[in-house]
Amino acid sequence: MNLNYDKATIELPQSWRAKAPIILSAGLILLVVGLGCAFLSPAKGGDNSQGFRYLTHSYLANFVYVFSFTLGALFFILMQFLTRAGWSTSIRRLAEILMMMIPYLAILFVPIIVMLFWGSSALYEWNAKPSEMPNSVIASKAAFFLTAKFFTIRTVAYFTFWILAASWFFRLSRQQDESGDIELSLIRQKWSAPLIMIFALSVSFAAFDWLMSIDADWYSTIFGVYLFSGSMMGFFALMIIISMLLQNAGKVQKLITVEHYHDMGKFTFGFVMFWSYIAFSQLVLIWYANIPEETYWYKVRLEGNWAPFSYGLIAVHFIIPFLYLMSRHVRRNRTALAVGAAWVLFAHWYDMTFLVMPNAGSLEFFPMFGHLLGGIGMLCIFAAMFIQRASGVPLVAMRDPRLPEALSYANPIL
Amino acid sequence: MSEHKPRKSIEKKMPKAFGWMAEYQDEHGLLAAARKVRDSGYTKTDAFTPFPVHGIDEALGIKPTVLPFIVLCAGFTGLGTALLMQWWMNGVDYPYIISGKPFGITPASIPVTFELTVLFSAFTSFLGMIALNKLPKFSNPVFTNPRFDRATNDRFFLYVEATDKYYNRESVKELLGGTQPDSLDEVLEDTTPSALPQPIILGVLLIVVAGLIPAMIILNMRAGFSTAPRFHLFFDMDFQPKKKAQQTTTIFADGRIMRPQVKGTIARGQLEEQDPFYLGYDPSKMTMLEESASGVMFVSTQTPTASQDGKTDGQQPAAAPEAPKLPWIDTLPIEANEDNMKFGKLKFDTYCSACHGYAGFGDGLVHKRADSLAQGYWLPPTSMHIDRVRNQPVGQIFNTITKGQGKMASYASSLSPKERWSIVLYIRALQRSRNANMDDVPVEMRSSLNDLATQVKTNPEATK
Repeated sequence: MNLNYDKATIELPQSWRAKAPIILSAGLILLVVGLGCAFLSPAKGGDNSQGFRYLTHSYLANFVYVFSFTLGALFFILMQFLTRAGWSTSIRRLAEILMMMIPYLAILFVPIIVMLFWGSSALYEWNAKPSEMPNSVIASKAAFFLTAKFFTIRTVAYFTFWILAASWFFRLSRQQDESGDIELSLIRQKWSAPLIMIFALSVSFAAFDWLMSIDADWYSTIFGVYLFSGSMMGFFALMIIISMLLQNAGKVQKLITVEHYHDMGKFTFGFVMFWSYIAFSQLVLIWYANIPEETYWYKVRLEGNWAPFSYGLIAVHFIIPFLYLMSRHVRRNRTALAVGAAWVLFAHWYDMTFLVMPNAGSLEFFPMFGHLLGGIGMLCIFAAMFIQRASGVPLVAMRDPRLPEALSYANPIL
Repeated sequence: MSEHKPRKSIEKKMPKAFGWMAEYQDEHGLLAAARKVRDSGYTKTDAFTPFPVHGIDEALGIKPTVLPFIVLCAGFTGLGTALLMQWWMNGVDYPYIISGKPFGITPASIPVTFELTVLFSAFTSFLGMIALNKLPKFSNPVFTNPRFDRATNDRFFLYVEATDKYYNRESVKELLGGTQPDSLDEVLEDTTPSALPQPIILGVLLIVVAGLIPAMIILNMRAGFSTAPRFHLFFDMDFQPKKKAQQTTTIFADGRIMRPQVKGTIARGQLEEQDPFYLGYDPSKMTMLEESASGVMFVSTQTPTASQDGKTDGQQPAAAPEAPKLPWIDTLPIEANEDNMKFGKLKFDTYCSACHGYAGFGDGLVHKRADSLAQGYWLPPTSMHIDRVRNQPVGQIFNTITKGQGKMASYASSLSPKERWSIVLYIRALQRSRNANMDDVPVEMRSSLNDLATQVKTNPEATK
């Protein structure tokens, strides 16, 4: 293979690296201010229990929001090898860097574990003392499955699996940068199938543990798929944004073409549809069966100010991106696609808020403002982590045997 | 053949030309040639390849089709049709309560809407594709040249049509000739005779005539008469070696094919007709009653009540239906133990409490809801604690569950006889609980009950 290229064109821009500490500190400040807003605003007469509920829920929602991108990246990598995809080779390294951020993000989960062992039940009601259990159903669940210890063991298990899988794929990919050995692609192909099955289970269980158990009475077996669909959608939107930012900075110019944007746009569109399908499947079964122990989850979300917010989800997460991204011309137009991707990133945050925040309390301006600030802060921290992780790593797997296929790839004209 | 014909006649019959067809060995040659032709300004071009070739659309300069927009419109039409249809059908024209759901458009309408959107889109994209490609086309001049058959196998073809506005026979030939094709042929009109060969015409005629023969035979049979016996196609189906009810036989001395029951056996379904466990009454005692057995049984299945015609005033419960005079059994056929009692409570709570209430006062959720709607013609469910029900033998309560009464439907298909008897047992316990005195309470529990009673009397709030 002809390897005459300027190495500088596939490296992270120097200016980005310089900005990383600023972005990180800005993110931390925003996060702390945001959490502070959520904590302090509803305080009445020194009682901060409600504020603490807002704080913990906001933190969890924003954490899962950014963490889901890395899960999407891991799934994307597994999927590309499983299907022996060629088109994606030039954008694959970016996804690989994203999935390698799981160890960094695992640090952000530590506060939640600490909070559990500190004995707080503000976020996870099942962590209450046996005498203060909200009801017998939760008490029975908290007897074995939903305990702080077992929860931690499971969480550690999920992270271990994700980190091991991601690191192994990343290491082989980096080895291929040096050797160009085809064997390295074949072995990843072979292992992608079993790993993707474990991945499916791990994401489902993580969704049950982290998000669904904040409402320990309620259950929905499709919940893991729900989180997965939204994560994939957010991941593809993020990939579009990152690729465009890199190209605007003069990097990977000819390696990522309009065809790749078109395909990432199609995936975003597809997962907007898939999310809607899953979200509706969950709703219609619960609505039709009309069993109180299931319907109240929606009732909480359709009370007070949450009602317009929840109905807004249909427009924000489905109607607007669905109609907007449907057109091929939008997906092939840089500016238009960037707008769509940014909107989808917002929609995913909106969805995470919808999943978590109504459990904290009613929708009020200051806690939500703090939650939004925290979300932006979390994104900034995420960006700084990305820069840190991507430093010194080529942004394209230049010696992957499928790279020529990716570069000559073209969508058929419809 | 043509060698013998004079040269002049060949030129006269020169077939019509439709354009030039160039043949290539691989897709690279085809793509290069297609780009060249595109850049020369020709638009009426087409490529034929054995597999989809990436980039061929761009190389041929094909414009995006309008089909997606047609399909989009069809999708919205399907969406609108589905929503309008469901709104009209279930919201306006024929509002019908389904699982207590609201009328008109509900979340349950979305799957139908989705299906119809997809259906309209799919049909439109298929039919639209056919129409935009001007299909079906029964004959195409490109097939005249047998070389073209390899387009589905291993060769790549580029076609420039003569209908192109810049078409010039010589210059197109020159252009395509410069792209190193394997062969370059003019696409000519198919000059083979287009008339159908005589044997085919003959064969079709024969088939048509043969197809008329059965119809002729049937017509002949319908119109004519015959004294011949009926024709049996399946003889052993028409004459089976078996006997039907009421027929005679020579096998048995009494000449009857229907046989009396063998002693000590029970026929299928016989228990359900004879055993009090399944009936609630003892049919063997029926003859002792004045009325004829069959008449009473008929009455017991109908149980006409005043409520059925809906003419009660809503205040006054319907007059107690005249109890069928059947020999009800007085003792439970199941054991009155704790297991059966718990089982009966479970079943009562599941099936009965919705109307009759958990304590049997006829104040279940259905009743409360209907009462709050205050529609006037609601007949309250019967209380288990009125004298009429308390005085009923257990068999009669069992019969009510089995057959239903008034508005109450039969529960025979939902509850097995054992479950029904368990419910009867539980109802008896409920009735007893409302009419108990201190002697019914076990000795060791009497003192605690007395304490509770004093507490309630002195301080009603504390016990809540």
